[in-house]
Amino acid sequence: MFRKMAFGAGLALAALIAGPAAAQGERVQVTGEMIDTWCYFSGVMGGPDAVVGSAHHTCALWCAAGGIPVGMLTDDGTVYMVVKWEGSADVADGETLLSVQSHRLVADGIAYERDGINYLVVEKVVADEGIVNLSHEDFGVTPPFSFPDPNK
Amino acid sequence: MKRMIFAAAILSLTATPTLAQGKYSADSQAKSWNLLGEEKARFEGVAIDALCVLTGDCPADCGAGLRQMGILRNDDGAFLLANKNTQPAFTGATVDLAPYCGQAVEIDGLLVGDKDVTPGLGDGRLLQIQTVRLLGEEKPKKANLWTKDWAKRNPDVGGKGPWFRRDPKVTAEIEANGRLGLGAEADQKFIEENF
Repeated sequence: MFRKMAFGAGLALAALIAGPAAAQGERVQVTGEMIDTWCYFSGVMGGPDAVVGSAHHTCALWCAAGGIPVGMLTDDGTVYMVVKWEGSADVADGETLLSVQSHRLVADGIAYERDGINYLVVEKVVADEGIVNLSHEDFGVTPPFSFPDPNK
Repeated sequence: MKRMIFAAAILSLTATPTLAQGKYSADSQAKSWNLLGEEKARFEGVAIDALCVLTGDCPADCGAGLRQMGILRNDDGAFLLANKNTQPAFTGATVDLAPYCGQAVEIDGLLVGDKDVTPGLGDGRLLQIQTVRLLGEEKPKKANLWTKDWAKRNPDVGGKGPWFRRDPKVTAEIEANGRLGLGAEADQKFIEENF
């Protein structure tokens, strides 16, 4: 059923893409932290400093596994939504980005801007420093239930 | 103390509702989630994957739920990245949108984000999708398919509780690197200091 619908959509898609021009990409090398974009931008779990780094790592795993867009918060404060990762377009598969969540990375790729949102096609991870933002030292864990009480 | 800081942060965000009325709010039936910069929005557009819009790489199935997706709004041609579905369970919206790949739909949900608090977003806002209606059909469908899809993909996962506490990939990652992502020793230290 889904495949039939998808096949039928092919021509519509082609027409669609012929309309709005694809965004112009720019080759970049960016450095920053992989973040959970929903919690970061929605404020649902607290302020932005509390929903990055080790404090938010388990929640960030949950959101990446749930297919929520993973972003890269770069040193200048820009957040890029990651739409492709070292050749894989399946960034919402709940697996591809799990192992780098909360890590500080250097990545080569193509950056796009479309309607006020920044996007990133990551072609190659140049360096992976692991998790260096030890935010749990200031904020504990966010949300608190992401680290269950081992005594209960 | 750290938990008090967290609670205070939550309170500071929710005590000042920022629900705004925008161009697309009038006919919206979306429910408030008290989010930053929240604005109800109901509009028509085409469901499509983000890579297609950005690069012209356009599979006929939009990636079958594995690519990030959004809505290309009819009114102004703007592309809105779908960040979240309507389930309060750490779930995105790709599974809800993929069946409508390339088709005209009406979306009801929330535009989210406040660049004064989190400037990394630029001038755009993210989209939380609460319902999707295929144009030509009468009733909208709730954007709540993710957990059912997860259950289908993980028929052998046992136990009780929400999916995110049982997901094999998440469990493996936590077992390998801890809940803080810093290894077992850091987790143990955290436990000793906080529980």
